[in-house]
Amino acid sequence: MMKLSNIRKVYGKGSLEVPVLHGIDLTIEDGEFVAIMGPSGSGKSTLMNIIGFLDYPSSGTYELNGEQIAAAKETTLAKLRNEHVGFVFQQFFMFPRDNAIKNVASPLVYAGVSKRERTARAKELLVKVGLGDRMKHLPNQLSGGQKQRVAIARALVNNPTILLADEPTGALDSNTGEQIMKLFTQLNEEGKTVIIVTHEEEIAAYAKRIITIKDGLITDDRRVTT
Amino acid sequence: MNIWDSFKIALSSIWNHKIRSILTMLGIIIGVAAVITIVAIGQGTKKQMTDELFSTDKNAIDIYYEYIPPEDDPEMMFWEEPELTSEDVQTLSKVPGVKAVVATNQGWGMMTHNDEQGEMQITGVGAEFFPARDIQVVEGRSLYAADNDGLNRVVLIDTIAREKFFKESENPIGEIINLNDNPYKVVGVYESPLPEQFRNKETGEMLMPRSVISMMFGNREIEQLKVIASDPENISETGRRAAETLTAVKGLENGKYSTNDFEDYERELNTMISLLTLLIGSIAGISLLVGGIGVMNIMLVSVTERTREIGLRKAIGATRRKILLQFLIESITLTSLGGLIGIGLAAIGSILVSEFSPITATVSPLIVLIGVSFSAIIGIIFGLLPANKASKLSPIEALRYE
Ligand SMILES: Nc1ncnc2c1ncn2[C@@H]1O[C@H](COP(=O)(O)OP(=O)(O)OP(=O)(O)O)[C@@H](O)[C@H]1O
Ligand SMILES: [Mg+2]
Repeated sequence: MMKLSNIRKVYGKGSLEVPVLHGIDLTIEDGEFVAIMGPSGSGKSTLMNIIGFLDYPSSGTYELNGEQIAAAKETTLAKLRNEHVGFVFQQFFMFPRDNAIKNVASPLVYAGVSKRERTARAKELLVKVGLGDRMKHLPNQLSGGQKQRVAIARALVNNPTILLADEPTGALDSNTGEQIMKLFTQLNEEGKTVIIVTHEEEIAAYAKRIITIKDGLITDDRRVTT
Repeated sequence: MNIWDSFKIALSSIWNHKIRSILTMLGIIIGVAAVITIVAIGQGTKKQMTDELFSTDKNAIDIYYEYIPPEDDPEMMFWEEPELTSEDVQTLSKVPGVKAVVATNQGWGMMTHNDEQGEMQITGVGAEFFPARDIQVVEGRSLYAADNDGLNRVVLIDTIAREKFFKESENPIGEIINLNDNPYKVVGVYESPLPEQFRNKETGEMLMPRSVISMMFGNREIEQLKVIASDPENISETGRRAAETLTAVKGLENGKYSTNDFEDYERELNTMISLLTLLIGSIAGISLLVGGIGVMNIMLVSVTERTREIGLRKAIGATRRKILLQFLIESITLTSLGGLIGIGLAAIGSILVSEFSPITATVSPLIVLIGVSFSAIIGIIFGLLPANKASKLSPIEALRYE
């Protein structure tokens, strides 16, 4: 469970200050499937980065599983990024010279896992995301959808409880995007907390809870009942 | 993630930019190669020079006469060296620390025997010469004190001359040979001190009582005087004492006996070599500094180029320390590799120098160790700034970097 209280984020300093988040209160339970929507520039990515420990709030508190996260403590954030969350980006972000297996296994390197186990875990996850026949391929030998699958496998490799995806289908056609969303749905059904940012209603429709942000504030938060 | 993983990442990133890496390493390669070659040559030269100075006569020191012009007439440059005799040799041999005295004079002569002819170098010696110089008499006898006193016209020939002038089966002892048209009797044969490979070019040498040389050639009886110290460590001290004794015994006024101070020589040699080493060392140091700056520059470029990679590594859980370490190891690998290549070049250089010059330059394991550690340290010093810069990047800004 994560609990964000009165999260504010201000970029820049002095006269160049840009306030982006104006006090976000948000609680997400384990196992939820959340979509964050809102117009461009409303602060969705900023919020996601804070949730995923890639960035820290200017003020406010963040509790993870009842524990307060000490903001801006570099080593703590790195450890949390490595162990508790898996991040999927719109632009995929691969190590261009490493094959699929090595890309997937990369977080395990920083977790201190042995090479043999890293490879075994990576292969297992590549099979799970449907890339069992592309394991030795380099990123530039893979399509966008395949790259995003590799990225999802990489996000899963450390067995995190939370999966974060900032516009994961933004660079994909709608058909491929649907397949990626089906994968997220499956992972959510297996117990992962999934949080995605999207512009598209069709993509948000896969989630069970839709949060809307406007100008750095939550304006709508509704659960989809089926 | 352990050091080995970082090292492999570093190697592959060096390999992926082969040309750039080689160019970057060039400064280090040249610097290290220069330092090590110079040190190797310097050590070789020093060894050779000290060998030349000391090895043949490790515990012998020359004693020579030095003229001092009279105080009331400093322009007076006409002097005569005092005559030395076997008695003086006796006196010197009793000076404390002196093991033996070598008193010689020199002559040249045309030797004829059995229709063979050859020019011979003749050394005039006393009986004390044989034990002092460790002369091995292989046939016949050595010289006696009586040979000098009695002006006996006897000679010892060396093994080279024996081979040239006598048949193998012939007994040279007692034979009369002709030297500058004068007869001399051969009383012994001694082992030539020349190394085997030089022997065939030579006609050989001979020893004879120095009084006979003085009589037949008109030389002074003792032209060259050396003392051999019982303790090579105290050779300069012993030599000085012997010279002073001789000066006193001869009651000299406008002159004295002196010795060369070996310690002075060695000191001078050492200063010269250290000066040379310092000079070359500073040139090499500048080259290494420039090389190091080159490494820093390329590492900074690399950090900028790989901003996204760094962002991604941080996003998947790399700590600041791990990023710092990765770039540091990369720059250390780069410079150490340069150092190793430099050492390789230096080794080749030393082999060439040893091959084509009289100096034996050797790359010692210690130098190799110092060379590698030094290049590694350069990697650390000049890699720190770029590595620190990389480690401080914020993950999200690094990922957004275009
Ligand atoms: N490093 C930064 N420095 C200054 N301003 C920033 C920085 N990062 C983001 N912003 C600003 O914060 C605001 C919110 O950005 P954010 O990326 O969170 O928007 P978003 O909702 O994700 O938009 P989009 O849908 O276009 O991705 C924007 O106005 C942006 O210009
Ligand atoms: Mg965004």
